[in-house]
Amino acid sequence: MKTILRDIRDFCVSLKLTVALLVLGMLLVFAATLDQTNLGIWGIQQKWFRSFVVFQDVRGVGLPIYPGGYLIGGLLLINLVAAHIDRFKFNWRKAGIFLTHAGLILLLVGELLSGLWQEDFNMRLSNGDTKNYAESYRFNELAITDTTDPSFDDVVTIPETLLARHESVQHPKLPFRVVIKAYYPNSLLQMRAADGPPSLATAGLGLGIVAAPQPVTYKQDESNTPTAYVEFTAPDASPGTFLVSTGLVEPQRFNYAGRSWKITLRAKRIYRPFSLTLLKFNHDSYAGTDIPKNFSSRIRITTPDGRDDREVLIYMNNPLRYAGLTFYQAGFENNDRTTILQVVRNPSWVLPYVACSLMALGLLGQFGIHLVGFVQKRRAKSFVAAVA
Amino acid sequence: MYRPTLRSTLLSLSLLIAACRDSNVDAYRVPKEKDVALRDTVATATSTPATGPAGAPVAAPGAGMAGTPVATASGPGLSWTAPAAWQSKPLGAMRKGSYNITGEAGASADLSITAFPGAVGGEFANVNRWRGQLGLAPIAEADLTSAVTHLSQNGLTLTFVDLAGTEAANPQRMLGAMVPYDGAMWFFKLSGPDALVVATRPAFLEFLKTVKAPAPANP
Repeated sequence: MKTILRDIRDFCVSLKLTVALLVLGMLLVFAATLDQTNLGIWGIQQKWFRSFVVFQDVRGVGLPIYPGGYLIGGLLLINLVAAHIDRFKFNWRKAGIFLTHAGLILLLVGELLSGLWQEDFNMRLSNGDTKNYAESYRFNELAITDTTDPSFDDVVTIPETLLARHESVQHPKLPFRVVIKAYYPNSLLQMRAADGPPSLATAGLGLGIVAAPQPVTYKQDESNTPTAYVEFTAPDASPGTFLVSTGLVEPQRFNYAGRSWKITLRAKRIYRPFSLTLLKFNHDSYAGTDIPKNFSSRIRITTPDGRDDREVLIYMNNPLRYAGLTFYQAGFENNDRTTILQVVRNPSWVLPYVACSLMALGLLGQFGIHLVGFVQKRRAKSFVAAVA
Repeated sequence: MYRPTLRSTLLSLSLLIAACRDSNVDAYRVPKEKDVALRDTVATATSTPATGPAGAPVAAPGAGMAGTPVATASGPGLSWTAPAAWQSKPLGAMRKGSYNITGEAGASADLSITAFPGAVGGEFANVNRWRGQLGLAPIAEADLTSAVTHLSQNGLTLTFVDLAGTEAANPQRMLGAMVPYDGAMWFFKLSGPDALVVATRPAFLEFLKTVKAPAPANP
C-alpha cells in the first residue's frame, strides 16, 4: 500500500510530468488551431479544451485520440500543487515565487470554473424596447406556453439536448405528453410541394413547410437551423404533430383541453428579476468621416419592487455589471435603431484578475528581493575592497 | 499500480461535470409578452377566435403560412425593380418577394424571391434541387460550369439557370438565379408553363439586372 502511495506521489510531483504536460498542451493548441477550420472557434473549444478526452469521429465511431484540455490542465494543477506541498519549504526569500505560483494555480482554477460556469447570451433591444430576459447564442429550447390567462404566461421549456436524444417529456404542467418524432440539428425549410411526400406533421405549419436535413455547419458566418417534429399525445384527442424550428419566427398556436397554447423552438432564454429598457442607441463617427468613434446604449434598469430605477450608459470597454451579469456593447443593427448587448454570466470572472495581480506582485516581489540582495552584496564587496 | 485508480477518478470527475450541464425541463411564469411583430407586408392575424370540436386542437388565427415570417437573411437585403405588369403577391412563409406573371389563356407563372442564411448547400446542390423540382436527373459537379451562366452587375454575381421540364402534356420551365449576399443565399425563381416562361425570359433577365445591394451605410 505504501508503495502505491509513494508511486502516486512520485508521479504527481514529477518534473518530467510537468514538461510532458507542457509539451502536450502546446501540441493541443496546435492541433486545435488546425481543427478550427472544420469546427469553428466554439466547436474546437468544446472538443479540444473543455473536455477530458478528445474524441474524433471515425466512420461514425468516436475514437479517443488525445488528452483534452481539462485533463492536461487538471494534471498540471495537481502537479503544481503536489510539487509545492512536497518540495516547497516556505521562507520569506521565496515569498515571490510562492505568490507567483499561487497566481498560476488560481488562473488554472479560474479557467476551469469559467469553462463550467460561464454562459453567453445576447439581448437585442430596439429604441424603447423593454426586456427582462437574454437569449443564448448557442442553445435552443422548445417553449410550450399556456397563454390562457390574460395577465401571464405559464411556460415549460425543453432543452434542445433532450430533443436531440428523442426523449419524451411528461411534465405536470402539461396536459399532454411531448414525443419527439424527428430532430435535425440543421435543416433547410422549404415550401412543401402539393404532390410531395407526406409530412410527419399533422397540424400547424408543418403541413405546408418541409424541413430538409442539412449537414451541421461550424462556420463563423453561418448558423444552424434546428428543426424537430414534435407530437403532443394525450389519452383523448391528441393535439397532433407539429414542425418546430428556429427558422420559424412566429409561434404556432392551438387549443387543447380548454386552454390556449403556443409552441416555438427558440434561443434558450434566461429571465431575470429586472428589466432593461433601451432609451437611446448612439453611433458616433469622427467629425467629417464615416470612421466609427463610439457605440453606446443608454439603458434604464428597473426592478419590479422599485428598489432600482436608474439610467446607465453602456459603451465599448465600459460594460454594465449588474446582478451577476455583465452587459457588453456588442453590436447594432436595424439602421442604428437596435442595440445588441452581449450578456455574460460568469461567477468566476474576478479570478483571472486576482490571479494576474498575484503573479505580478509575486514576480515584482521576487525580483525586488533579489535586487536588494544583489545590491547589498555589491555594497559589502566594495566596502571590503575599500577597507582592504 | 496507481493508474487504474487515477483513471477511474478522472472518469468519475468527467461524468460529474457532464451531469452538471443544464439539460433540465424548466417551468416558470412570466408576464404576458407580445409576439414577434409581423412584417408590414405579411398578412396580419385576425382577432377571430378559433373554433373547433371541444378539446380538439384547431389552427389559431394567424397560424397560416402566409402570416408566418421565417428567419431568412437579416438586414436590409437586396432590392430590385419588377416590371409593372408583374402582380405583387402577399409574401409567403419564406419569401422576400413574390410576383404573379400572367400570360395568354389564363396561364400564370410564379416568381419567388427567398433568402436563407449561409450557402444553403452551394450552387451545385441548389441547381440539382431545382432540377429535381422539374423531374430532371441531377447533373454531375463537373457539368455545373456548362449548366449555369454567371451574370455580373451592380457588384453582384448571379448564377443563372434555365431549366425545361420533361412533362410533354403540360411542359413546365424554370428560370432560376442565386446570389450570395451578406452571409445569405438569395434565390430568384420563376416557374410556370414553358411557353409563358420562355416569353418572360427577356423581362426576367432585365429584372435580374435591377437586383442590387443597398448603398453602403455608415459603419
